[in-house]
Parts: sequence; structure tokens; C-alpha cells
Amino acid sequence: MSAEPVPSDIKVKKLFRKTVFGVFMLFGVIGLSTSILNVYTVDTHLSEEYISNSKGIAKTIADASVDILLNRDLAALQSLIDQFLEIQGIRYIYIANESGEFIAHTFVPGIPEEILQGDPLSTETVDRTLPGLGDFVEVGSPILAGVAGTVHVGMDRGLIALKIQRAIGQQMWLFVVVGAVGVVAAIWLVNLAAKPMARLMAYAVSLARDDEPANPELLDRDDEVGHLARLFRHFANQRSADR
Amino acid sequence: MLTRRTLLAFGLAAPWFPVRAATAFGGVTEDEFVLGTSAAFSGPSRGLGIELYRGAMAYFEHVNRAGGIGGRRIRQKIYDDGYQPDPAVTNSTTLMLDDDVFLLFGYVGTPTVTRVLPLLKKFQDRDMYLFFPFTGAAPQREPPYGDFAFNLRASYGQETAGLVDNFVAVGRRRIGVFYQADAYGRSGWAGVRKALARHGEQIVGEATYQRGTKFTSVMREQVNILKAANPEAVICIGSYAACAAFARDAVDMGLNDVPLANLSFVGSENMLKLLSEGRDDAERYTDLLVNSQVVPSYEDVSIPAVREYRDFMARYNPEVPAELVTEEYTPFPHSFVSLEGFLDAKLMVEILRRLGDNPSRRGLEQAVFTIQDFDIGIGEMVSFSPQRRQGLQGVYYTVVDQGRFVTLDDWGKRFANVG
Repeated sequence: MSAEPVPSDIKVKKLFRKTVFGVFMLFGVIGLSTSILNVYTVDTHLSEEYISNSKGIAKTIADASVDILLNRDLAALQSLIDQFLEIQGIRYIYIANESGEFIAHTFVPGIPEEILQGDPLSTETVDRTLPGLGDFVEVGSPILAGVAGTVHVGMDRGLIALKIQRAIGQQMWLFVVVGAVGVVAAIWLVNLAAKPMARLMAYAVSLARDDEPANPELLDRDDEVGHLARLFRHFANQRSADR
Repeated sequence: MLTRRTLLAFGLAAPWFPVRAATAFGGVTEDEFVLGTSAAFSGPSRGLGIELYRGAMAYFEHVNRAGGIGGRRIRQKIYDDGYQPDPAVTNSTTLMLDDDVFLLFGYVGTPTVTRVLPLLKKFQDRDMYLFFPFTGAAPQREPPYGDFAFNLRASYGQETAGLVDNFVAVGRRRIGVFYQADAYGRSGWAGVRKALARHGEQIVGEATYQRGTKFTSVMREQVNILKAANPEAVICIGSYAACAAFARDAVDMGLNDVPLANLSFVGSENMLKLLSEGRDDAERYTDLLVNSQVVPSYEDVSIPAVREYRDFMARYNPEVPAELVTEEYTPFPHSFVSLEGFLDAKLMVEILRRLGDNPSRRGLEQAVFTIQDFDIGIGEMVSFSPQRRQGLQGVYYTVVDQGRFVTLDDWGKRFANVG
């Protein structure tokens, strides 16, 4: 018989590749799906939280403004809104009086055209894109039931995006680490399973070539490999008898 | 057991006990009055804090060298707030609670003072008062905090009303506003708005800048916003660095025939220095400036207080304590700000003198109300009462002529709208 190379190495490598590919695919699918779910959840929850907080802040300013508008000057009102501007996420605040005139605001270098063109007395929550400033969720609150004007608070959507990016970034790091551990574990496990198979293959090939049987200790094993080895020896003995 | 000698000793000491008790705490001792100050000694507005301090110290130094007030020297406990509200609040708390100063004196700025006022109300049981802050804003002139402060200078409302009235009188009715995006800017903005309303007009355009802006900043966006409104005059409510930057860019961008008015807070000499230094064509940038002042010109030596001020400034040349000097600054021999500080100190000394031999904070308010038709030396009499907590009402207008600010006599000749 011709001496052909033992193909065990090639087959084991194929098994490795398929296993690693499978692990990668699995982690990829899990990572992608959970990321999408996470983006949606974080975005929804943060937006809701921001809007809720903004409404609370707008209402607080509106309540505090009543006394200032009726009894004091606009410097005190400006001082009040400047302090709220220090809260994370709040990018602008403006107050319009009952005539729709802007009587205090925090814009630099001026009130954006989009806001000048809007209805300053509306208290509806709106999404705004202000050129040069970014994307905002703007909420409004009436002062003295609207008869003294309205307060508007703009929360930076960029901050929500930043928080989502951070959350997804952290999640991806976790997946990379778990994935790497998974691949190493898979390689180790496949190696563990493939070694007896390779030795069995070498044993079978030696029987087929009528050579001195390789790895004869396999016949003593009490597992599938041992059963197969004994089966191969039985077929080989039968073939020798038939000759 | 009390002996006759002990009783005698107590008896002799008894009349002195209240005196010692009244003078041994609360920022006043047998030797000195301690006045607490939080002001800008760093940052782009440091020139205001430094000049105000120098003017006040010129007078205090003179009084101290002459033996003080009833033997008590005047000492200022000073902190730097950089013209920022939060440090001003922290400094004031320290001054009131830890340093236990006699009173607060010589504060600088609306956003700082506006935030400090509630502290005075909070600690009203300590009878702490704020004297002569360098701001014309309304919060320390009206309820609920007006009772805790005394002002010497005219208000921003008076300054802006005067500017608007004069502009309207010379045919410039379309007025825009450039202002600092904070309580100071809003105070001036509100003054312009109110004054224009009296003439049936509105602010035609407005642009803002962030507090702390430096002269090197670009103000082109602000100029473009105001140019689009086609104003006939612009009233600037800001600090010298930002207002000088705006004037520079306004002229460079062709806003050439529009007068640029500034309030007293701007610090005229610092502004002029920024616009003139290293330029051969400085007049281009300064010809259209008109600055309102709350003290008369320090160049007018016919005024007794001005002569006294110039004499004391030359004689004592006060310097800011070394620990407060963190950035380079070259003081001016004379300035409107230091003259205001000088007048503040002069009136402060008079009030402390009227407290008598047993000064206490409790008597401060009444001592102030005894000031009636007091001649501070500028031609305008100073009076205070429970209903009148601002000593002076006068507003002066100045323009740049031959590299210095001089009194504007004829608005029509200088700024008449011929367009």
C-alpha cells in the first residue's frame, strides 16, 4: 500500500476554525442585539428622565419667577436662571413675558433665529436643532398659569448621545473580554476532544496499512474511542481472515 | 466671700464693662475697624477691583496716618473673587462668620453682589451691611435686600436712561444693546428697554457675550447680529476687555458711524488702553465712544474732592497687597474707578466717625441716616434716609479726546444723526 500522509491535523484545524467562527458569530449576534436593545433603552429612559427633570426645573423657575417679575427687577431674574444653567445637561433657559417678549435668557452671542421665529408662549415639549449649538429637548412651563409669561429650558441631547456611547462602549469591552475567554476555552475544549480522535485515526490508518498498530493503548479505553478502536481491530482481523 | 475691696473693684469696673464688650468683638477693637472686601483682583476684570481698592486706600491711608478714627485705624480684610459669583459667596461667608468683620465694603460687580445679598438677609441678626458696592444694579437698591446695602453711586437705570435720552435728543432712536450674559448685562438691558419705552421705542437688536471674555476674543458674530438691526447707536453693558473687543471688531467691520456707549462699570481707562496701545490709528476706535460715569472727571481740578483725590493718590500711591497680585497689572495714576473708591472711602470714614466712641454694628444704620446734605466735595450733596439708600444721583458723560476721557459738553455737536 502507498504511504499517504495522515490527515488528522487538517481535520482538527478545520474543526478549530469552525468552532472559533461559531463562537465569534454567537458573540457577534448577542453583542449586536443587546447593543441595539441598550441604545433603545438608554435613549428612551434618559430622554424621559431629562424631559421630566427639565419640566421640574422649568416649573421651579416659573414658580420662583412670579415674585421676581411682580416685585423685583430683571437682574434678579437673570441671576436666578444663571444658577440653573450650572445643572448638568441644561444648555439654555429663556423667559418670555405675557406679550412674548424675551425678558431673560442665557444665549450667547444672541437668541437663535429658530427660537425668535417660534412661539415663546407655547409650553409644549419640542425637539430643536440649533445651528452651532446642537440638538435639544426644550420644555416649557407657564408662569402664573401663563398670564405672566413662560419659562423654557433646553436640555442637551448631545449629553444623552454621549451617555449612550459610554454605555455601549463599556458593553463592547465586556463582550470583547468574554469573547476572548470563550475562544480560548473553545480551543482548549476542541483540542481536548480532538486529540484522542487524531490518535484513533492514526490507529485506523496503521491497521489499514497492515503496519504495527499505532496507539494500541486505545483498545483499553472504556469510551467511544476505545469502542471504535476495538471495532476497527475487529474489521482488520476479519479482513486478514478473509485473505 | 465677697470682700469690700472686691465689691469696690467691681463697682469701679462696671461702667467700663459695656464699653469693652461693645468694642472687643464684631470687627472693631480699641485699635481698628476691620472692613471686609471681596472683589476682582484676578481675571479680565481685575482692573476694576484693583483701581477701586487703590482709590479707597488712598483715603484710608491718609486717615490712618492722621491717627485713625478715634484712635482706631481702618484695615481692609480682602479676598479675590475674580468677578465670579461662587467665590464671592464663599468669601463673604468667611468674612462674616470667620473673620467677623465690622462691615462689608468695596465689592465689585452685579453678578457677585446679587448672589451675596441673600447672605446678608440670612445673617441679619448680625447687623451686617454692605457699603458702596461698585455696581449700579437694582437688587441692592430695592426689596427684599435693599435694607442690607447702602449705595453711593447712581444706578444703571439712571445711567442708561441718560444715555437713551441724549441719543434720542440728537435723533438716534434706533438703539441696539451689547451686553454681558448675566445679571449685570440684564440690569443694563432692562434700563435701556425702560428708557426707550418712554420714548415709544424698542431695542432694535441685541447681542451678548460670556462673562470673563478677554480682549483677544473675536466679537464678529455679535457685530453681525447688531449690524443686521441697523442701529443708530449701541449701548454696551459689559466689562472693559469685552467692550473693547466689541468696539475693535465693530469698527473693523464697518460699524463706523454708530456711537458705542458704555456704562461706568466698564472701567474707561482700561478700555481706552486696550484700544489705543500699540496703534497709530487709535482714534478710529475711540472717536465714537461715549462713556457714562457716576463721578465727575478726575481731570477737573476745580472740584475740591478731585484735588484732594489727586493729592492723596500722588502722596500715598496705594498698592494692592502682594498676596492678591497673581496677574500682571499696571495701575493708572488716576481713573474714574479709583476716584469712586476714594469717594466711597471718604463717606465711609464719615459714617464710622459718626458712630462715636463706642462703635457697634447695631448703630451703623442710624449713623448712615444722620448723613444729610453732606458735602463730599464734588458739588452734589449726599443724603441718606430709610427711603433713600443711594447717596448720589449724578451721571456724567465722557468722550475720548487726545487720548483721554473728557467731559462731553455738546451731544448734538458730537453725535447728531445727520443720516
